Amino acid sequence: METLDIHCQTIMDEYHASFPLMEKMKMVILDTLHQTLERIGMEVTAVEARIKTEKSLTGKLKLKGYKYQSLGDITDILGARIITFYTDDVDRLASIVEQLFDIDWDNSVDKRRLHQLDSFGYNSLHYICRIPSSLYCDPESPQLNQIRFELQIRTTLQHAWAAINHDTGYKTGIEIPKEYLRQMNRLAGMLEMADDEFSRIRTELTDYRRRVQQLVQNGKLDDVQLDGDTFGSFLRARPLDPLNRRIAAINQAEIQEVPLMGYLRVFKAFGCQTLGDVSRIIKQYSDDAYRLARHQLGNTDLDIISSSVGMQNICIVYILSQGGGRMGLVRLFNAINGENPQNELLAEMTFNQAENLPFMNNK
Amino acid sequence: MITQIQENGNQLIATFNGRLDTATSAATAEAVKPLLEASNREIILDCSQLEYISSSGLRIFLTIRKEAASRGSKVIVRNISADIRQVFVMTGFISLFEIQ
Repeated sequence: METLDIHCQTIMDEYHASFPLMEKMKMVILDTLHQTLERIGMEVTAVEARIKTEKSLTGKLKLKGYKYQSLGDITDILGARIITFYTDDVDRLASIVEQLFDIDWDNSVDKRRLHQLDSFGYNSLHYICRIPSSLYCDPESPQLNQIRFELQIRTTLQHAWAAINHDTGYKTGIEIPKEYLRQMNRLAGMLEMADDEFSRIRTELTDYRRRVQQLVQNGKLDDVQLDGDTFGSFLRARPLDPLNRRIAAINQAEIQEVPLMGYLRVFKAFGCQTLGDVSRIIKQYSDDAYRLARHQLGNTDLDIISSSVGMQNICIVYILSQGGGRMGLVRLFNAINGENPQNELLAEMTFNQAENLPFMNNK
Repeated sequence: MITQIQENGNQLIATFNGRLDTATSAATAEAVKPLLEASNREIILDCSQLEYISSSGLRIFLTIRKEAASRGSKVIVRNISADIRQVFVMTGFISLFEIQ
């Protein structure tokens, strides 16, 4: 194995000596980034950090060790990376990172803005940073605030392209044929467009959710198509609370909260097209749903219920009122409770309990 | 009311034998304590020998479920009779548990 010259060996010795400090810096950086992402509520693909391996540094020093006076001149010994879902998040994170760390602007690069008009390729934001003493300070290790590290921010698609490009060409040190280079650049262009499209879709979806929320708040439920998003908005307005409170009052029961999103497919199966259709069923069948609960719970001492009781009873009453019978109830229990042979028996028992209630006799 | 807990690989299986009501709930709550301390396990509540469950029993099941969720464990209620399943339906607890 080829050995390093004296100059490069000095840098390598410096690398070994500073390793524990780098480990500490790595932890500080990762903690800071994780806490920041949690604080701003941003989901990302990954947050990672690594210290350059001895093997990798040896390779770098052999190639261009003459360029560096000391270890401090090599800015990527410690590297961190945030991989986002969306391009918009790269910009948002960039502005936050600029406030978190001291940025060495002379050596930081926004490669996204370096592109010529006729070229594509490696898009990423690279900051060379220091940990400011206002963020973390250890009087025994003042170097911790002096050593620079590299922070990359890129999207998942940029990361995929960069990783594959690195694997096919750069890493092996073999210049790849122009035809393959052209194909890689075509892919880069395509991924850049896909990144923009994902951001655009997210923005439109956020706008759509806001509009739906507004329509729900204004009670214009017939204008809102029934889907997972809109049903969630509808439930956040807690339309079942009055019925659940009436049911709880039967035995002075406490109410345990439970998600109700599973009822979306039940209302879809009922043929509901809009939130207006769902709302009308709830309004029309609430009294009978309460009577069913009173009939079931009235002669028990059960004083704990879940918040799904109201919704469940409305569905039972609706099915029976529409002539859905026992089979309709089996389908309901299969939908909300999973398929189980006992659901037939349960449907039979529920049907028998409801048989003498007014809504069954009025149909 | 007898409550037993057995370990089977990653599973903790609690079997309930008898009536789980106000009179037996304190002893049952004590017996299931190991379930509340389990992390990243599959907790099976085997109700094949459970004859009756009251609100006190439902609260014990609920506590197990809440603790399990906070500790990365999963709770499955297994082999409940039709009568007890009816209690789960009437109270809406059927939406709270995975029932097999």
